Amino acid sequence: MSEVKRKYVTPGELIATGNYKPISNVIKVKDNFYAIKIGLAEISHEGIRVIPLSGPYIPKVDDLVIGKIVDYSAFSWEVDINSCFFAYLPAQSVFGRNFSPDRESLPERFSIGDLIYAKVVTYDRTRNPILSISGHGLGQIPKGEMVKIGPAKVPRLIGKKGSMIKTIESATNCRLIIGQNGIILIVGPPDGVLLATQAIRMVESEAHLASLVKDIQSLLSGSREV
Amino acid sequence: MVELINEKGLRIDGRGVDELRPLRIEVGVLKNADGSSYIEMGKNKIVAAVYGPKEVHPKHLALPDRSVLRCRYHMAPFSVDVRKPPQPSRREIEISKVIREALEPALILEEYPRTAINIYLEVLQADGGSRCAGITASAVALADAGISMRDMVVACAAGKISGQVVIDLDDTEDKEGDADLPIAIMPNLNQVTLFQLDGIMAPEEFEKAFNMAVSACHQIYEVQREALIDKYFGKGEAGEE
Amino acid sequence: MSAVKRSMVVERLRKDQMVELLSKEKRLDNRGLLDLRNIVIETGVIERASGSAKVQVGNTQVIAGVKIETGEPFPDTPDKGLLVVNAEVLPLASAYAEPGPPDEDAIELARVVDRGVRESKMIDLSKLILIPGRKVHAVFVDVNVLNVDGNLFDATSYATVASIATAKMPKLFVDQNGQIKRTEEIIPLPIKSIPVSVTLARIGDVLLVDPTSEEEAVMDARITLVFDEEDNVCAGQKGQPGTLNFDQVKLAANIAKVKAREVRKIILGGITKDAKG
Repeated sequence: MSEVKRKYVTPGELIATGNYKPISNVIKVKDNFYAIKIGLAEISHEGIRVIPLSGPYIPKVDDLVIGKIVDYSAFSWEVDINSCFFAYLPAQSVFGRNFSPDRESLPERFSIGDLIYAKVVTYDRTRNPILSISGHGLGQIPKGEMVKIGPAKVPRLIGKKGSMIKTIESATNCRLIIGQNGIILIVGPPDGVLLATQAIRMVESEAHLASLVKDIQSLLSGSREV
Repeated sequence: MVELINEKGLRIDGRGVDELRPLRIEVGVLKNADGSSYIEMGKNKIVAAVYGPKEVHPKHLALPDRSVLRCRYHMAPFSVDVRKPPQPSRREIEISKVIREALEPALILEEYPRTAINIYLEVLQADGGSRCAGITASAVALADAGISMRDMVVACAAGKISGQVVIDLDDTEDKEGDADLPIAIMPNLNQVTLFQLDGIMAPEEFEKAFNMAVSACHQIYEVQREALIDKYFGKGEAGEE
Repeated sequence: MSAVKRSMVVERLRKDQMVELLSKEKRLDNRGLLDLRNIVIETGVIERASGSAKVQVGNTQVIAGVKIETGEPFPDTPDKGLLVVNAEVLPLASAYAEPGPPDEDAIELARVVDRGVRESKMIDLSKLILIPGRKVHAVFVDVNVLNVDGNLFDATSYATVASIATAKMPKLFVDQNGQIKRTEEIIPLPIKSIPVSVTLARIGDVLLVDPTSEEEAVMDARITLVFDEEDNVCAGQKGQPGTLNFDQVKLAANIAKVKAREVRKIILGGITKDAKG
């Protein structure tokens, strides 16, 4: 593996000077690279990036999110996805192409306060995100323990190729539904839910640490108290 | 005329001419806000909160290509010696505007089109330099909220009291002194984002005061940075593996 | 990162969980129905104020400051000093608070807290007269809510009471020319009683104390009762469109009376710490 240099940075901090490629969360002024967020800077042969430790959830097409129904009109639901914008779930994408507001009642399907697991199907700078619940495992989440974490920390919770989720799931006998927007639902036996919640909190507080994976493993094996 | 500097060159509170008041910054003090901070600078005690970016209401205030930055600087009725009525005064409205304009250059607002970012500053106790302390605290709260920033913003005043150039004026020095020069800078990009002047200085005094204010800003920047590092990283080794 | 909405929407599964737990006399934050959250009271936090207190009730945070000025008495009470309690839920306190003058909720909040202080005779207002009918002391208490997580009534009351109880002012006198002069002597306000407020929420058939924001968002009714040191009830207010039956009102009063004794110790602790420091 090639050499990767890491350091903690705050906004405006000079990360490096030279001929690098900016990857993410950096700006280039002449040959100087500055961080634009608080986080962990990585300098490698690929370029310079900052892995942020805080920040709002910005939707991306194909993201899976957990949203809360907060309102509805005759044609769509308004969904709080913990982001800068409300998202919309069009009635047509739920009831089908032949949807008619005279025939179908939106609140009978999803009412205010319901949680849904959904996919972002369209979003750009000019429009609010549009969601869909067609797809395996998508739709209403009827029960589970809800945990919120900083959206910037979700990649750490997922881990490399989903390794962190798998570790937590198998040690706790729970299933985790993870929204890219920082909302997580845990479904399983009460003891498992408690342990999984502790593990998620640990990911949140230790996201920047090299020892995270080891710490999670010892928490889950019961050898470390929280 | 009040004697603001004694024969030993010390100010009323015992500071030297180029010495800051005690300064403390805390990050993440309010649970509900997206970002927050608390600053004590001399007797100033100020809470800063950031909400957003979030959708703008009413919608016609939104801009298609960037976020709208809004700022409210407000003084608690008990923050000053004589109770201040709670409704915003002309002074508070002007200060809200200059603070907003001091912070705006540092924010990459184009990243958040059609949204608003709200900064709320509540002065729980006022001393000289509350706008500067407010700017310094706001920048920390914005970083805590994870808003993309070209740089931090940090502010401090210099001024002239008893014929001498000093930094970081307190309430008495501000009222009894000859001149007050609050500035805010982006400490890495070396840009001035707030500049106000109130009082008379000779050209060479002005230049000296400006330079002293800039170097005071750099000192305060270190405190901002430490507060953020402490909150986010505490201890432990950086890594992803 | 919640976007602007007039009020908070609680997730239905959280609400279901809450209702299920309540049926077993438990709550989402692991409290029992009659358990208070942790209360922290710090006094003397604002040197420029005559008295001040910062209060945390769980994640709810408020700060109160007292300013004592002189003014004219109200025409109908020429023999009493003035007391004004004002409360604002600052826009920094929650995503649902807006800048602007206090709305009806903030005004209700201030008036209920004011009533507890006034009716318990906490301050002996008759001792605040300088020139009968013309000049009296005016006590202003301003309370700023910094972070909202339910039960603003009690948090605001505790901050108000602790700031008044620790307030100090220069002793004034009227000279032979009828001018008001200050002396070097610093005196406390004439305190006669310490009122303690306790708020309960009704959710379904269940009464619980010290509701969080989440609980308030689903509660049917709220009731606040204020007690003096002799367990006399001296102020009260039912809120929200829901009702309470007769037994629930009496039960709430009994619970509140007992909880008030518990809170009284915490308030007294916060007040005396200031006196020593």
